[in-house]
Amino acid sequence: MIKKFIVVFLVLFLVTGSVIAEEKKFGVELTLTDVTKVSEILDNPEDFVGKTVLVEGTIVGVCEKRGCWMEIAGDKPFTKIKGKVNDGEIVFPMEAMGETARLEGEFQKMVLSVEQVTEMKKHEAEEHGTEFNPEDVKGPETYYQIKVTGAVIK
Amino acid sequence: MKWRRLNNILHRDIGYLCVGLTIVYAVSGIAVNHAQDWNPNYKITHSKKQIDPVNGVGQLSFEHVNKIIRQLDIKEDYRSFFQPDPETIKIFFEKKNVTVYLSTGEVEIEDIASRTVLREMNYLHLNRPKKLWTVMADIYAGAIFLLAITGLLVLKGKNGLRGRGKWLTGIGIVIPVIFSIMYL
Repeated sequence: MIKKFIVVFLVLFLVTGSVIAEEKKFGVELTLTDVTKVSEILDNPEDFVGKTVLVEGTIVGVCEKRGCWMEIAGDKPFTKIKGKVNDGEIVFPMEAMGETARLEGEFQKMVLSVEQVTEMKKHEAEEHGTEFNPEDVKGPETYYQIKVTGAVIK
Repeated sequence: MKWRRLNNILHRDIGYLCVGLTIVYAVSGIAVNHAQDWNPNYKITHSKKQIDPVNGVGQLSFEHVNKIIRQLDIKEDYRSFFQPDPETIKIFFEKKNVTVYLSTGEVEIEDIASRTVLREMNYLHLNRPKKLWTVMADIYAGAIFLLAITGLLVLKGKNGLRGRGKWLTGIGIVIPVIFSIMYL
């Protein structure tokens, strides 16, 4: 009787363990194996524009509405990088905040006009339930992000 | 077998098969239709608290984070933490995110609850799984197309397509045409 119980318990434990330990994959399979440090990219962004990169870090932000972007922390303090997808292609789950993720995709540079920056900041304020202050928009802005094609959340 | 009898059998049996998914698409359809007004996948609630300010520290250590958590009386273990800038720290738990503004001690707590069942319905409705689910969704689309066609032919006479049916079907076609003209 006790032997049966132990066998059942071990089987359940192994099955449960494998489910819990399972990585969650999003989008296409990752093609790169070498991780590029976020600091390396942020220190020299122009060197990476147009290139496919693989970054890894703690998930510190996820789009609440559509799960269409994710931010991961950089290896240096107070830094992060954004990974964006087209709506619906990949949906990042909010409960992934605080977990570790790998993102792969093309590093992009976007130069936004004043109108585009205004729209973006308005949208962000709506998402966070805060008020948008037009005086926050100083002029055109340059943003960098990764156009994510594949991701793994550990 | 007469064709109408076959038609009605098909309509009945395809109808039964489609009940489950039709409910999924209907409920999820209403939910995501109003995605501008609410979050159809998560219930997110915000609350505020106050703790002792943490001044002049910059990059916080584990001890600082543990002290903050003790003040907030949160029993669960945290997953990780991140400082977007020297004045702010975000602490991540399984279903909760805490943002602390260090110089003032103001705390914003975000509790995240997945809308169970509805979120899964949305997941299927919006074809998030892709792969084999795309095939299933296409089969369902074909099935409700058949339901529509067989439904036209269930009854005959004044209650069928030659009677009230033609008017109601006509209205059902005109409505989307009008909206298309108005909004496209």
